[in-house]
Amino acid sequence: MTDKTSVKQIEPFAHPAAQAAIGVEGGTTGWKGELLHIHIAPAASYEMEELSKATCVAGRGIEGDRYFLGTGTYSPRPDVREITLIEQEALDALARNDPPLQEGPVVLAPEEHRRNLTVRGVPLNHLVGRRFRVGEVILRGGRLNFPCKYLENLLDRPLFLPLYNRSGLNCGIEKGGTIQPGDVIELLD
Amino acid sequence: MSDRLIMKLRVVGAKLTTPDVLVLDLRHPKRPALPAWTAGAHVDVMVPGGVRQYSLWGDPEDRSRYRIAVKRETAGRGGSKWLHEHATEGLELHVSAPRNHFDLDGQVRPCVLVAGGIGITPIFAMARALAAVGADFTLHYCARSAAEAPLLDDVRSVCGDRLTTWFSQEGRRLDVNALLAQSAGAELYVCGPLGLTAAVETAIDAQGFPVERYHREHFAAPSGAGFVPEAFEAIIASTGRTLHVPAHRTLLEVLRDNHVVRGSSCEIGVCGSCECDYLSGDVIHRDAVLGLKARGARLMPCVSRARGVLILNL
Repeated sequence: MTDKTSVKQIEPFAHPAAQAAIGVEGGTTGWKGELLHIHIAPAASYEMEELSKATCVAGRGIEGDRYFLGTGTYSPRPDVREITLIEQEALDALARNDPPLQEGPVVLAPEEHRRNLTVRGVPLNHLVGRRFRVGEVILRGGRLNFPCKYLENLLDRPLFLPLYNRSGLNCGIEKGGTIQPGDVIELLD
Repeated sequence: MSDRLIMKLRVVGAKLTTPDVLVLDLRHPKRPALPAWTAGAHVDVMVPGGVRQYSLWGDPEDRSRYRIAVKRETAGRGGSKWLHEHATEGLELHVSAPRNHFDLDGQVRPCVLVAGGIGITPIFAMARALAAVGADFTLHYCARSAAEAPLLDDVRSVCGDRLTTWFSQEGRRLDVNALLAQSAGAELYVCGPLGLTAAVETAIDAQGFPVERYHREHFAAPSGAGFVPEAFEAIIASTGRTLHVPAHRTLLEVLRDNHVVRGSSCEIGVCGSCECDYLSGDVIHRDAVLGLKARGARLMPCVSRARGVLILNL
């Protein structure tokens, strides 16, 4: 399962979504965000574990994570999954039931949403086809994340609709290094 | 509803309740509260080379630990033997969040609970739940002897005189026909070896006991001796792709080979992990999980097959 050949990652800017977004004007600039939490899981369905520091490997993922190891639920499918991010602001909106599309507030803790990085002040929906840095690590936005029934099943909570359009961003790692909560996140181009 | 979170839990207690049944208490090393569960639920425990299902028998109100009881199955696949040899205090065990295929169905009618041997685990959880709300129930517990009846002291203290024991070494054997005759109007819950459930089912047929009021959990799927698997075609509805399932392979294996993502666990048709919706087809159901109604639209691809063409809602 840890055989490198089983890991099928698409170079983020080769993804059709990023291809279409590159060169298109727009996207907010001048923001400065913060890394709040880092989580990884050793294999599909395993509980996410919080890290105080993580090693990102270019073209591979976060050391120890299921998509680095090729043991993730979606590992057999070629995709952009080296590292995934979600906005704390989206989780806050779910927690206040905003918009009120489901029965009530949905509290999704950082270890529950199964994205690797929880960030604040980062407009993830604007970063497809863009390069940005998390501390010393450089990421490339490949495609928007999309909520899955798998997560809904796993947590036994309605999440598909609440997460729709704010489910986060799937990225590739252009330049690896070490990241830790508190790291500054900034747009590069 | 089939995917379940897997947690790394810590064994905080390991004690024999009978010479061949080991009681394990499991805690989360970082979180005070484990996922909630209801009586009849089980967890998956990862053991070398596979996954085993164990019912939770403790108090669902106590979210700080899960309590399971593991019978050493000398003729089994090796999972229980491994747990008996390795599960001591401090061991990390990978355990899924609970799921329940054997829950108490309302509580309006009196309940008759029947357990055989290690089958006491889900039945005991039910008895505790019924006792907690003051419901009308009786528990019939069959075992070879008191010394070989797992958790007997705990069961006694919760059930009191609602417990009747049937120890064959004392010459007392449960007469399922007589029990059923006295149980008209009750809900019947049974967990035990196939011999016990088979005897109950024969009595149900003979007496015309309403099948919708009979609930059972198997330890093992029906063996289906004599079943000869045949090849069939499975079509993935969303893509129109046709997959050939040869006689010697399971539908689950073929789906997996073709990168159709399915969770799975026991792969013998008892856990319900790989459950799959289908739109049409002549399905040969071979699992021990799905009820008759569910079988019209769902199947377990680890053991179930089809004749001709099966269209999967995937």
